[in-house]
Amino acid sequence: MTEGESIEQPEMVSMEQVGLIRHDRKGNVTAILTEISFSARRREITAIVGPSGGGKSSLIRLINRLDDPTTGRIILAGEDIMRLDPLQLRRRVSMVLQKPFMFEGTVLDNLQRPFLFRSVPPPVEGSPEVRRAMELAGLAAGLLTRDARTLSLGEQQRVNLARALITGPGVLLLDEPTSALDRPTGDRLAGTIREICQSQGLCVILVTHDLRLAEKTADALVYLEGGRICEAGRPDALLTDPASPELRRFLAEPDTKERTHA
Amino acid sequence: MHSQGVINLDLVNLALAYGLVLLAIALARLQRIGQEGQMLWASVRMGLQLIAVGYLLHFIFAINRPLPVVLVLVVMAGFSLQVLGARIRRKMPGFYRVMGSSIFVGCGAVTFLFCALVVGYTPWYAPRYLIPLAGMIIGNSMNGASLAAERLAAEIGERREEIETAICLGATARQSADTAIRNAFRASLIPTINTMAAMGIVALPGMMTGQILSGTAPVIAVRYQIAIMCAITGAVAITSYLVLLQGYRHYFSAAHQLQDRRAAGDA
Repeated sequence: MTEGESIEQPEMVSMEQVGLIRHDRKGNVTAILTEISFSARRREITAIVGPSGGGKSSLIRLINRLDDPTTGRIILAGEDIMRLDPLQLRRRVSMVLQKPFMFEGTVLDNLQRPFLFRSVPPPVEGSPEVRRAMELAGLAAGLLTRDARTLSLGEQQRVNLARALITGPGVLLLDEPTSALDRPTGDRLAGTIREICQSQGLCVILVTHDLRLAEKTADALVYLEGGRICEAGRPDALLTDPASPELRRFLAEPDTKERTHA
Repeated sequence: MHSQGVINLDLVNLALAYGLVLLAIALARLQRIGQEGQMLWASVRMGLQLIAVGYLLHFIFAINRPLPVVLVLVVMAGFSLQVLGARIRRKMPGFYRVMGSSIFVGCGAVTFLFCALVVGYTPWYAPRYLIPLAGMIIGNSMNGASLAAERLAAEIGERREEIETAICLGATARQSADTAIRNAFRASLIPTINTMAAMGIVALPGMMTGQILSGTAPVIAVRYQIAIMCAITGAVAITSYLVLLQGYRHYFSAAHQLQDRRAAGDA
């Protein structure tokens, strides 16, 4: 698929009454997600926020079909994702996992991986695709020939981002992208994510337990606790005047407060 | 049997041999390692099992029909599969189906090629050849296949991040499990490679010594040993490969999703 195609498409993700139930080996049934409905728009960052264990990662994993929901529908630009070929879907919906996993080899090798998986000749060093991806992720071109596993965590997370963007997706899913980074590095990465969202017209869905990050970057905020959406709306409104007792409690936690107002 | 130069062992000879087991038991007792009971029981079991097998084989040799010969091999393979299944801790999903079919196809093909083309005896089911040759091929392949299965389970467990990263980047299940499959295949071949390399120096192989004991010229016995080792290597490789090729699929859904995500992870 070409870059132009993805940018023309009005990629938008919505969940309709999505539920996820997990059965463990002992036969216990746990509701991980219950009646999740929300939409994420293009050119916007939608942040899914909440305490850990609240179902955030489980939710985001449904959008590129790493897992499938038990009930409900997920719509991508007007189409039910269950009707799409999962490999095609994952070309349109890129995902960056929490821990940056670097494949063996150089940064360039890592950027070429997605093309090799699709049996497409990969772009070479100096090609517009590689240059664009490195630039978007804020990486110096000199890093291309470095062994990816010797890079710092911050750099690895940027390679992770470049690798997810190089094939030109319309939707970008980020699972706790800054959690492994120190604050200044994380802040810079958040800035980069904002720029990418705007310049590429992406629909970005970001999972984080860090309210500060959500407040600084997100256009829309969804507060998830106990597998349910307690509240959703504009971050400034939500954080200054929360309506749900859950979010009020979360904001009042000393740990959260420090992160929000520091 | 009828090969010349073999001294028959009668019951008195066997009783003498068992004297050595008693000696071992006495030693165990003296050192208080507390395994005398197990040793005695194991030696009695061995005696009874082997005598039973001896009579069974005697019977099958006497009938000399294809069906009983094949049946013996199938039952033997089934038993060892059962033993393996009980021993392996991290069993891959669909273990018995995957292992059973791979051993059937891999060992079946190699045994057929080996017996028909390499040794070239007739009739094809001659129990004197087919039972020991197929037995060795199946036994070794079973070990290789179980190593492959065990290692694949471990690799996929350890490489969840790598596999899911690849899937996120558009990889198929096969592509995402590539490293895991490769490592498991390598692991399954290591014992066979080591055995081949050490053969004749570290230990004299069992089949060769058996043939020499029963009066075969060492030069011929050696040729048999070389040929069977080649067949075993081929069978181990094919069987393990089939196990991996079928086995990895059981860890994924049709939508290229890695399944059985540990509940311990972030919900």
